[in-house]
Amino acid sequence: MKRESFIKSRRGDWQRYEVLINSMQNKREGSWTGDNVSELSRLYRSICYDLSLVQSREWGSRLEDYLNDLVAHGHNCLYRSSPVSLYGIIDFIAVGFPRMLRRRWQPFLLAAALFLIPLIVSVFVGLTRPDLSAIVCGEEVLQQSIDSFSKDMYQQADWDYTGQRSFMFGFYVNNNTGIAFRAFALGALAGIGTCFVLLSNGISIGMVQGAILAAGEPAATNFSSFVITHGAFELTAIVIAGAAGFVLAQGILMPGERTRLDSLRFHGRESVLLALGAGAMLAVAAVLEGYFSPLPIAPAFKYAAGSLAWLMVAAWLTFAGRERNSP
Amino acid sequence: MPDTSKRIVDTRVIVETPEGVDFQFRLAGPGERAHAWFIDLVIKAGAVAVFWIVALLLGLTAGTAGLSTMAGVGTVFLFLVNWFYGTVFEYLMHGQTPGKKSLGLRVVRTNGTPVDIVSSTGRNFLRTADMLPFGYTAGLISMLMTRRLQRLGDLFFDTMVVDEKRGFSGRVGGLTTHVEVLSRSECSGRFQLPERTLGVIERLFEPERIISDARREEIARPLSEIIQKRLGWQPPGPDPRNPHAFFHGQGKRHADFLLRVLKTFSVDSFQEAAESVPGSRRAKGRQARQSGPGSPIGKVAATFAQDKSL
Repeated sequence: MKRESFIKSRRGDWQRYEVLINSMQNKREGSWTGDNVSELSRLYRSICYDLSLVQSREWGSRLEDYLNDLVAHGHNCLYRSSPVSLYGIIDFIAVGFPRMLRRRWQPFLLAAALFLIPLIVSVFVGLTRPDLSAIVCGEEVLQQSIDSFSKDMYQQADWDYTGQRSFMFGFYVNNNTGIAFRAFALGALAGIGTCFVLLSNGISIGMVQGAILAAGEPAATNFSSFVITHGAFELTAIVIAGAAGFVLAQGILMPGERTRLDSLRFHGRESVLLALGAGAMLAVAAVLEGYFSPLPIAPAFKYAAGSLAWLMVAAWLTFAGRERNSP
Repeated sequence: MPDTSKRIVDTRVIVETPEGVDFQFRLAGPGERAHAWFIDLVIKAGAVAVFWIVALLLGLTAGTAGLSTMAGVGTVFLFLVNWFYGTVFEYLMHGQTPGKKSLGLRVVRTNGTPVDIVSSTGRNFLRTADMLPFGYTAGLISMLMTRRLQRLGDLFFDTMVVDEKRGFSGRVGGLTTHVEVLSRSECSGRFQLPERTLGVIERLFEPERIISDARREEIARPLSEIIQKRLGWQPPGPDPRNPHAFFHGQGKRHADFLLRVLKTFSVDSFQEAAESVPGSRRAKGRQARQSGPGSPIGKVAATFAQDKSL
């Protein structure tokens, strides 16, 4: 076939295809009719064939570019990523996320060690060596933290309480989730950034905690009853976000039998899902920390709720989605 | 997973569709991406500012408690914009944020299929790493070291940013406008050339190919000599009345000859004529294209479809 006769015979299809694409690109997928889609996919395949013909015969780059663009637009139209469904999200929370975390128990343990060991050591430092923790965290920060837990926090849950707590809720979401996402993202630098975020947060949280506990009553009780409930979600989520960062790092450092690039992709996907799960847990933590933890109720009640929260988180992550043969 | 894209040294990436056809994407460079990023930054800042003002005004009506509630809501909004702006728009607009859309850029997976929400989330989260130690230095280094110009976020999540506004650049507009057509009387051989030879010549003059004139002449010479022999065309000697023009043209005589060949034998040479007429269909098409880079399949391309002279 000569070029001219080829263009002549195929022109009609190209025109029809352009009209179809232009109209479909401006509409939502929901309003596409079955006839449109089947016609488009038929034309798309035939134009793919035209393109490969033009390429193999080298009929000039202008014609090739034109067909190339037709194919590119059709490709954009026909191949779409699968939409997010509510069922998918629920299924992920109930089954997928705990399973994935159990499969990734090594990075999880590493992150837990890097966060919790410095935290526990710093609590002891804060309790026994206030001079040291003052150097690390700053005298003023420690004093403020002690003061804020020394006074009775709220007498009643009224309109004023809601306002102040909403303000703090925003702060918790932004600050804590930001820390978690940063711990995840910095895993891309071979895990060094994640180590830094986990260690620095473990140390500073531990020292403040130690200083408050050292200050004695009522700060110690106020503090413990305050943190226990949301801590179940918050501390776990920080560790999980760190684990997600280490999963990224695993992609760089331990490709195994994959090429390094394939390894990045393989580990990358799961790491985001872990980080998103951690983000969701932090949202729950922020709600609890914002509105439940400071409620003016008896500490005993908070301890009970907190223990329940820890049990729930542990049970969810350990048992949810467990089948005989899956982790 | 085998790498289906083929190696070429320029900003084009060839992707194989599931139908087994290769087609090209042009990659977006750091400059374009920074530009899009800046537009997005302005939009984000504007959205947060407006949201805060409206929220605080609303809160003010309910006193101090309302004010601090709204400050909390505003902080949550700030957080969402900060971390999820890119993801939300790339999901809703099939790989484009408003900034990318205004410049005709799009995020796609490296196999050309649309980016999914998980990859999009990941690549946007990893901006935190790409920004280090300042101003996206890590991302820039990564882009310079990878064939598909990927920053860290792109590498991990198998995405790339492509440039979709294309100036239908098979031939530079007006490339052969001032070139004389070869006349039959100049040639003693067969007055005909195969299409694929013309395709090769077109490629040599593609605007995206950055070649110096001297280098282009060097490449043009062997082809030009063969075509001259085949057509039986003799290069004219210096015009005794104006020898300067002859010697001036020596440095690019082969390239010039190939352009004349292109104009003579190219089937769509009529379009060059249409182009030089202001207000012609093609000129209008170009204006439309410039005003809207996002407009699908520019009007110029339609000349292939509309062209009555074929």
